[in-house]
Amino acid sequence: MASVSFDKIEKNFGKVKVLHGISFDIADGEFVVLVGPSGCGKSTLLRMLAGLEEISGGDISIDGKVINDLDSKDRDIAMVFQSYALYPHMTVGENMAFSLKLRKAEKALTEERVGKAAKILNLHTLLDRYPRELSGGQRQRVAMGRAIVRDPKVFLFDEPLSNLDAKLRVAMRAEIKALHQRLKTTTVYVTHDQIEAMTMADRIVVMHDGIIEQIGTPLELFDRPGNLFVAQFIGSPAMNVFEGTLRSQQGRPWVEADGQQWPVGPVAGGKDGQGVHYGIRPGDISMVEPAQGIPATVVVVEPTGAETEIILQVGETMLTLVLHGRTDVKPDQAVGLQIAAEKVHLFEKSGGQRIG
Amino acid sequence: MIKGWSLRKVSTEAQLLLVGIPVVLWTLIPVYHLFLFAISPRDTATSGRLWPKSPTMQNFEIVFGQKHFYLSHFWQQLGNSLLIAIATGALTLLVATTAAFAISRLKVRGGRTVMNLALFTYFIPAAFLAVPMYKTMSNYGLLNNRWAMILAMVTIASPYCIWVLKQASDKLPWELDEAARIDGASPLQLFRLVYVPLMVPSLVAVGTYALLLAWNEYLYGFLLLSKETDLPLAVALGNFLSADDSPWELLMATGFIYALPPAAIYYAFKRYMVSGLTAGAVKS
Amino acid sequence: MAEAVATLPKVRRPANSWEIWGRLLVVPYLLIFVIFVVYPVGYGLYLARDPQNYVRLFDDPIFFRTAINTLVFVVVAVNLKMIIALGLSGFFAQTRWWINIVALLFILPWAVPSIPTILSVRFMFNSEWGVINTLIFKLTLKDGPNWLNDPTIALGLSMMMHIWKSLPFWTLILLAGRLAIPSEQYEAASVDGATRWQKFRFITWPSMKGLYLTSTILSMIFTLGDFNSVYLLTGGGPADLTHVLATLGIRYLRLDQIELAMASIVVALPFVLPLVYVMMKRLSK
Repeated sequence: MASVSFDKIEKNFGKVKVLHGISFDIADGEFVVLVGPSGCGKSTLLRMLAGLEEISGGDISIDGKVINDLDSKDRDIAMVFQSYALYPHMTVGENMAFSLKLRKAEKALTEERVGKAAKILNLHTLLDRYPRELSGGQRQRVAMGRAIVRDPKVFLFDEPLSNLDAKLRVAMRAEIKALHQRLKTTTVYVTHDQIEAMTMADRIVVMHDGIIEQIGTPLELFDRPGNLFVAQFIGSPAMNVFEGTLRSQQGRPWVEADGQQWPVGPVAGGKDGQGVHYGIRPGDISMVEPAQGIPATVVVVEPTGAETEIILQVGETMLTLVLHGRTDVKPDQAVGLQIAAEKVHLFEKSGGQRIG
Repeated sequence: MIKGWSLRKVSTEAQLLLVGIPVVLWTLIPVYHLFLFAISPRDTATSGRLWPKSPTMQNFEIVFGQKHFYLSHFWQQLGNSLLIAIATGALTLLVATTAAFAISRLKVRGGRTVMNLALFTYFIPAAFLAVPMYKTMSNYGLLNNRWAMILAMVTIASPYCIWVLKQASDKLPWELDEAARIDGASPLQLFRLVYVPLMVPSLVAVGTYALLLAWNEYLYGFLLLSKETDLPLAVALGNFLSADDSPWELLMATGFIYALPPAAIYYAFKRYMVSGLTAGAVKS
Repeated sequence: MAEAVATLPKVRRPANSWEIWGRLLVVPYLLIFVIFVVYPVGYGLYLARDPQNYVRLFDDPIFFRTAINTLVFVVVAVNLKMIIALGLSGFFAQTRWWINIVALLFILPWAVPSIPTILSVRFMFNSEWGVINTLIFKLTLKDGPNWLNDPTIALGLSMMMHIWKSLPFWTLILLAGRLAIPSEQYEAASVDGATRWQKFRFITWPSMKGLYLTSTILSMIFTLGDFNSVYLLTGGGPADLTHVLATLGIRYLRLDQIELAMASIVVALPFVLPLVYVMMKRLSK
């Protein structure tokens, strides 16, 4: 049972400032994902929560109590590392029991907790093995088992799936999510992979260069990205973005770019003649007869089995389109593009803030 | 032509043998000579034969029985060598392991400086430090105390051991320490339960190095200890030389006995010794 | 974007247990260092402070002889040894079953303590009843030379002893360096038609240059400190003519002139310290 709170957190490494006043709250039992490109500060923030990095400014609280000066072991947290950090000279069982052994817990209690965790994670047959005898996925589960045995207030995950191959990653994602639904422990999860964020989080914190770009549920971030960075970071394939000019005539707005008129949904707060970034997701574009839509030329067709990705050229701009199923279009074919106006995202040309 | 043997191949093998055979001879002659003397009776030892006419264990009997003036304290001196060597090994391990842990894992402030101080000490030839050390031990009142030699040996052995241990420690992944801290380990628990178990191979190499250094040492024992019952065997061997009519074959027999433990240890721990000591020189 | 921070407020934290333990755990070594290194060095320098000592030192012909001996010893023995080690490292890099056996025997000088072996050699070269002269007499009916009584030969024998003892170690070091070179480079060179010498010159040597240099310098430092090879073979004789720096201190000690012993070491420092400095630079990279 624990809420976590970050209040104006700052971090300096020597003269270099890497976190600029991070503030947000995590509710008890929430699964929050910190996501962003390398170097955005997400791991640093997590490690500060863990007590592995000094806090240069601001306060971190767990359950309302400021923990800045508490040593890691007194914070009642457990952490799963990217490289698992299993003790190579101890068996799986000993690894999971280590924290209890340090506190000189009773044997019965240790066995009970370890047994329970092993059962949840399907490790009960591996308790006498050594880490070097296990596969990557098994080691990951042992690392999680070690965290579960602690029965902490908060789980911390530092890019735990980065070392696994793609298929295993998908399977482990589901396992971690299921674990959270079962144990309901507050979880802070760091990753650079936005798909992991989208599939696992209750809420996502998008970070970039030491600041928070946006906080919201996965669908909030997907449907209404607050700025250009979030728009292009969330969603795969990435949102198509190009520059244009907003025009508003007779109450009907549209965007002029590359000599074409691009449809736009109702826009609040935009001015005629304003420079904008025009954003449309690959799934919100469809192909029609050349005369019925914006003229475009097919460049590449990439069928991925269930879907097809098509790269098209309109004037100077390249756009990506995703459609379900197959298509007959061929490279160099002329097609027309139809865009769902209400799915268009507009961002200010300078600063990238969302318009409307 | 023998099947599979080309002229070129034969000449390569011949060239290798041309190197190999002299190397073996050169390596073995002093040791074989030692062995030869040890198993020869007094009068025939110097006859120049390749194998004694009547090989005997008599010399060893005399040595073990302490039946000669120069050997009257053989067992005591052997014991001294053992004591000094083991104490040096143990104490050096203690000093070096704690220092390496503090510098490498705890990242103590000034750790680099301590490391550099240690390296500096290692590079000063021990023979240069001998006379000052003699005077120092005299000032401390430790002359003719075996602890003088033990402490001197620990001083000489520690720097290299700290360096080797630090290099090995640096290879341990950082996350292990972090995971242990989060699991609730105190510094001592981290040292005892995680660090030391993972460092065992290096500890063996380093402890053995210090032990052998002390066992093989002559100069410091010669300077710091003078009472016959305090002497390590190495120094006692040197004392044989003071008279013209010394029983050389007994000296060689004693020397042979004295040489056995280090040779045995080296061959037993060959892998550790080679990897442990060359790791310092060749940075991969 | 990371911005430079103009001023950081100094935050005073109480030292946590990790820092305290860090400092505690270096104390054992620091104690040893202060009590058994700093004090002796300081005291030694103190003993050598009188300039008169240096006058007496330079007036002593033995000192000059010793300096020359040391120079010859270090320069000749070390370079000879390293060249042989370099060659032998190539030999031991070949994979033959019998070479492995040779390697096993080869480390014997390193494994066996030097005292018995040096004494063994000393007896071998004894001019009256040593094996060498006995064999020479048997073969030529003439007396062999008085090996250890000729200062030049005696010094040469000391150098040989030193090389015998330390060659295995350096051969192993250079062997490790050689084995670190990926074999594909040699294979590519073979395809390109390189001879054995060319392979050495263009592949082996460039890779090993650094290690060879470091080893040579380190070996020079070790050789300066080799007391046993001279003392146990010749005792510094005949007539104090084969002393090296390492054994000279003992001579002065015997003559109850400890200040001269210290002075002789101080005089050597300007030669030793630069070597040490270079070694430290190379190793702390």
